[in-house]
Amino acid sequence: MKPLTFFFHVSLLFLVGSIGLVAAELPRVALFTTGGTIQSRGEHRMKLMEYGAGRVTPDELLEDLPEIHRIAQVEVIEISNVGSPQITTDHLLRLSKELNATLERDDVTGAVVTHGTGTLEETAYFLHLTVRSEKPVVVVGAMRPFSAISRDGPYNLYSAIRIAADPDAKGRGTMVVLNETIHSARFVTKGNTYRVETFVAREMGPLGYVDSDRIVFYRNLLCRHSSESEFDVSNLTSLPQVDIVYGYQEASAASILGLIKDGAKGIIFADSSPAFRAALHRAQAEGIVVVQGDRKGAGRVLQSERSAGRGFVTADNLNPQKARMLLRLALTQTQNPREIQRMFNEY
Amino acid sequence: MTYSFFSGFSRRAWTCAALLGCCLPFTLSAQEIPVLAPPGTDLPHVRLVSLLGTISGTAEDRMNLTNYGDPRVSADDWVSALPELHHYARVSTEDLRAPEGRGMTEAHWMTIARRLQEIAEDDSIDGVVFSHGTNTMSETAYFLNLVVSIEKPVVFVGAQRPWTGISGDGPLNMVNAVRVAATPEAAGLGILHATNQNIHPARDVHKSSAYRVNTFQSIDLGAIGVADPDIVRIYTAPARLHTHKSIFNIGSIPEELPAVEVLYGYTGTPGYLVDTLVEHGVKGIIIDGTGAGSIPRDMHEAIERAQENGIVVVATARTRAGRVQDTDRRREAKIVPGDNLPPEKARILLQLALTQTTSVDRISEFFVQY
Repeated sequence: MKPLTFFFHVSLLFLVGSIGLVAAELPRVALFTTGGTIQSRGEHRMKLMEYGAGRVTPDELLEDLPEIHRIAQVEVIEISNVGSPQITTDHLLRLSKELNATLERDDVTGAVVTHGTGTLEETAYFLHLTVRSEKPVVVVGAMRPFSAISRDGPYNLYSAIRIAADPDAKGRGTMVVLNETIHSARFVTKGNTYRVETFVAREMGPLGYVDSDRIVFYRNLLCRHSSESEFDVSNLTSLPQVDIVYGYQEASAASILGLIKDGAKGIIFADSSPAFRAALHRAQAEGIVVVQGDRKGAGRVLQSERSAGRGFVTADNLNPQKARMLLRLALTQTQNPREIQRMFNEY
Repeated sequence: MTYSFFSGFSRRAWTCAALLGCCLPFTLSAQEIPVLAPPGTDLPHVRLVSLLGTISGTAEDRMNLTNYGDPRVSADDWVSALPELHHYARVSTEDLRAPEGRGMTEAHWMTIARRLQEIAEDDSIDGVVFSHGTNTMSETAYFLNLVVSIEKPVVFVGAQRPWTGISGDGPLNMVNAVRVAATPEAAGLGILHATNQNIHPARDVHKSSAYRVNTFQSIDLGAIGVADPDIVRIYTAPARLHTHKSIFNIGSIPEELPAVEVLYGYTGTPGYLVDTLVEHGVKGIIIDGTGAGSIPRDMHEAIERAQENGIVVVATARTRAGRVQDTDRRREAKIVPGDNLPPEKARILLQLALTQTTSVDRISEFFVQY
């Protein structure tokens, strides 16, 4: 071997070695995929609704985003590839258990979960309450499919992985990121059917923003969550049945009576109707815990003499679908309304 | 299903407490209702400091919601008009209004900050409420947020309608401000603002509407908590440095801060406005830029001249939402990105920063930290 070639080989080795070193130093992010619009395809790029031309695999998501290798090493755990209406308790429990196990590993900095946007906030809040780690969990989705014109998915996914890899994201529980906005799972809700700015926290606003120059957190969460949570799903294979009843003018008691028959363990009522009163009383007599929620989408349900006198737990400012998640977890511990009210006041 | 504490608490508090006492065995399965403490016993001591404002303004006609003024309601008048305060706190008062005929001034900020620092060290006081006119309330609050080392709750309050106005928002705002100041969880969060049943941090709160009672918003971020009829609940804490964690201190800053002025960006903002400020001897300029903090073309040369004279230039965004980012182009031009601060607050931070350094890099760090 000529000295020059030798030198070339040595430097090549050194170069490869240092690339390896750089890669090894990048934070490791676990990408859990469940599906959703972000993993959906339409027949053509103008297909922004009813897109049904197949699913995008986790590998395709990553191949589509080579820039990700500049900021993180990504490992994939596929949970499912379904839209958010198909997400079940089995998905939630499996996701939470796998997240708990993965985040316990020293080499993992944080996790990202892809999810359909329709029920994304429910899954995110469930993870916020049950993933008992200080490491960040970032739930991400898209409003436009993978195949669409001006699709939002790639930048949302890039942003989510960037946050999961950020040391400053630690201790904030589960977050949701779309449209460069970082929300806490505690407050976020889907507030628009099709726009890219759909995720909002109507009163408390976002925790921060993921901007080109840096990730900025303006708010620290004071509600109890994740590593401080008392909820442990490690031995659970199911969750108590809790359903939501929507209140409106002259709403009948039929759905409440049906739920009693169906064996529900908890009922959230989102606003009331005169017919609800006797039916809810009957539900309570059957041992069903009743939570007073609200359909307005902003503001707390106040703790009043009247509600307390009727034995209702009040939902604070949790929307009905999130109050349902907290009640399901609460019911794994207790049926005592006062104890459950404490949980609604703390989480 | 609103539970009004004006009708509820004042008239029913005792009946409610008594009823709860007798029915305890029957109500235990139900949830707890917050029971008001009897007036005067062991309640937090809140100092109510009047800096006037619309909340102190009066008019003869209750429909007069725009041309009100003297005679002013005093802090003692608020306390006697609001007996409900005694359920939440022992309230003492003081008048720290600006000298006659002047609006709020930088000189008066210094007086207020020194007084608040004294209160911080007075163990007999648990929380503080300041009344203030709503127009520049967020500036005074942000100044105190940066220079006073205090952990006890400090709450700014004001009103959109005079004390005599029909459906005045002042009374409920005042009661809620005292409630928040008497809430231990409100400590350590920096200077707060409480109006319209919402709690905002001084850094982010912004007057966003001329006359509506929901004028105060933390644009792009939202409230940190609520003062609801049943409880005060705080959900988040501001993450940026403030009060006891700030490096700026009223004890060590000069009596007169470096002069900083604000220029508004629009199509064709002329460079001579910059030159004029330089001639006037300013040490810093805030350009409230268009879009993401863009500085109008006609100002560029004048800004370079100003920078050659050692003047620090900060860019904010007139959009009032979104951050001005740290970009390569901005770095080359030595423009400090103003983050998401509105220009009136960026001005205060720059004034304080200039008491420490004229380094663009160091000042840029301040805008990320505060």
